Amino acid sequence: MHGRLKIKSTAQQEEEKRKEREKKLKLYVTARDVCFSQRKEGVLDEEALQLTQQLLSSNPDFSTLWNYRREILMHLETVREEDDVQKIYESELSFVERCLRQNPKSYGSWHHRGWVSARLPRPDWVRELSLCDRCLSLDERNFHCWDYRRVVVRMSGVAVDQELRFTDRLIGSNFSNYSSWHYRSTLLPLLHLESPEPLSPTPQLAKTSPRTNSHRVCEEQLLKEYELVQNAFFTDPNDQSAWFYYRWLLGRAEREEMISCVYVSREEERVAVCFSKPVH
Amino acid sequence: MGTQIKDVVIKDDAPNALILDKHADYIAAYGSKKDDYEYTVSEYLRMSGIYWGLTVMDLMSQLPRMNCEEITEFIKSCQHECGGISASIGHDPHLLYTLSAVQILSLYDNVQALDVDKVVEYIKALQQEDGSFAGDKWGEIDTRFSFCAVATLALLGKLDAIDVDKAVEFVLSCMNFDGGFGCRPGSESHAGQIYCCTGFLSLTGQLHRLNADLLGWWLCERQLPSGGLNGRPEKLPDVCYSWWVLASLKIIGRIHWIDKAKLRAFILACQDEETGGFADRPGDMVDPFHTLFGVAGLSLLGEEQVKPVNPVLCMPQDVLRRIGLEPELLS
Repeated sequence: MHGRLKIKSTAQQEEEKRKEREKKLKLYVTARDVCFSQRKEGVLDEEALQLTQQLLSSNPDFSTLWNYRREILMHLETVREEDDVQKIYESELSFVERCLRQNPKSYGSWHHRGWVSARLPRPDWVRELSLCDRCLSLDERNFHCWDYRRVVVRMSGVAVDQELRFTDRLIGSNFSNYSSWHYRSTLLPLLHLESPEPLSPTPQLAKTSPRTNSHRVCEEQLLKEYELVQNAFFTDPNDQSAWFYYRWLLGRAEREEMISCVYVSREEERVAVCFSKPVH
Repeated sequence: MGTQIKDVVIKDDAPNALILDKHADYIAAYGSKKDDYEYTVSEYLRMSGIYWGLTVMDLMSQLPRMNCEEITEFIKSCQHECGGISASIGHDPHLLYTLSAVQILSLYDNVQALDVDKVVEYIKALQQEDGSFAGDKWGEIDTRFSFCAVATLALLGKLDAIDVDKAVEFVLSCMNFDGGFGCRPGSESHAGQIYCCTGFLSLTGQLHRLNADLLGWWLCERQLPSGGLNGRPEKLPDVCYSWWVLASLKIIGRIHWIDKAKLRAFILACQDEETGGFADRPGDMVDPFHTLFGVAGLSLLGEEQVKPVNPVLCMPQDVLRRIGLEPELLS
């Protein structure tokens, strides 16, 4: 649906293309019909897994088939030994990885991967993080991958500054790094939290929802950040990401405790003072 | 040194007039392509495909050319026991297709063709503890689904079936440093998600929670030298963003921050004079999805040959007036 160039071709080429598509269509329809009828009959075995594999590799957005796979996997969990289940899920991860290589932007594939990782008897989060590293090295703007990375990092308790250093590396490679700056904007406030909200002793990313963009950042970290982003747009003034980030940064400073305004009323014999933040 | 700006160049001979009749013919013929490969492999989204086709036909005042009875029967056969609706027969129910189905039936003023109470029950059951919505029983969370939930319920007049306050808190937790929204908390801003979240906030009467100037700036920066809009920084322009971005700007009262003439020229250039329909960008293959959003975008820009479109629901205004649904817009 996106990025498909319309190419003009001869009548013969058109006819060849038409025959090929007719063949493809027949294969697809047959495979789909078999999957649907097997599912209706309650078939939940490895053979059914094989069938859906064919279709999903080239049609990963066919979400009903991912659903069917999950039903099969859940059933196999109940009739196989734990070691077997581990192996089945590991080969499931390899299958999903192949799907992702062909189509790195399918919601269905990424969701399924997350589902599998959560059900694995012995998940390998290091492997998952490395998958994210590789995927992001091919396309630093793949938001599906970034979202999955955030899950992996949360599940395995990766430290905030390790992730900050990861964004340092990406931003250092000089282009298309809006996603990294965005990630930084969510990490910074966690590292130097100024809010009264209770925090775990080590700033880790083991939280559910980082509603932290409204939080302040301490001055030391802020000045470092200013330098970082200024380097970015002095190196390349057309790097728009840096400008968006800069605007946000300018509003991050801690508010000085000071008087915002004073109101004096002779008649009422009153002075009212407004402070910039609650005074303790 | 220095980044090249990713953009397209519009050729001099690109279409520059609106050929509405060709688009109507394209859509009218699209449904009969049952032996077409592209058509068949997109079966997983058929309900949305029908919604795109019917809506653009209605916007062009050509809805009667479509087969109302056949479509209504099809929708009925896609409602599952749990109340949810699937994209097509044999597929599993999902919030995305539940919304599309209700939108279609609203065009036909026939939502009673469905078991409405069961639809409401299905949606209610998908709301999570943190206020978010799963797309279906398999648990994928996404702000798109928050939009699908409230839009469907609003069309049915049943918004009170869910915990609106919690739903709002979840969507707001997805607001980013740039004023935009992503799929989940922490996700990068994306025009499609922004459309869903601003539409959501409009339907729940919470637009005042946005930073309209900040978001408006991010949105108008989607416009490229070619006049087209992209979905986020450093991406190519795409006619569907003429909808996601433009509708969002309209909702937050800042549509004048876009160069309308240049955008209109880009949208028109995406037409295919030979086949009818719109493609994502000039010279590419057309499809019903981009055809709807091209025409809807032109409507938002004031195109007189097209009916006024509602920016929140992407449906003709007259349909919503009939239903009595008027989501708030910022001025």
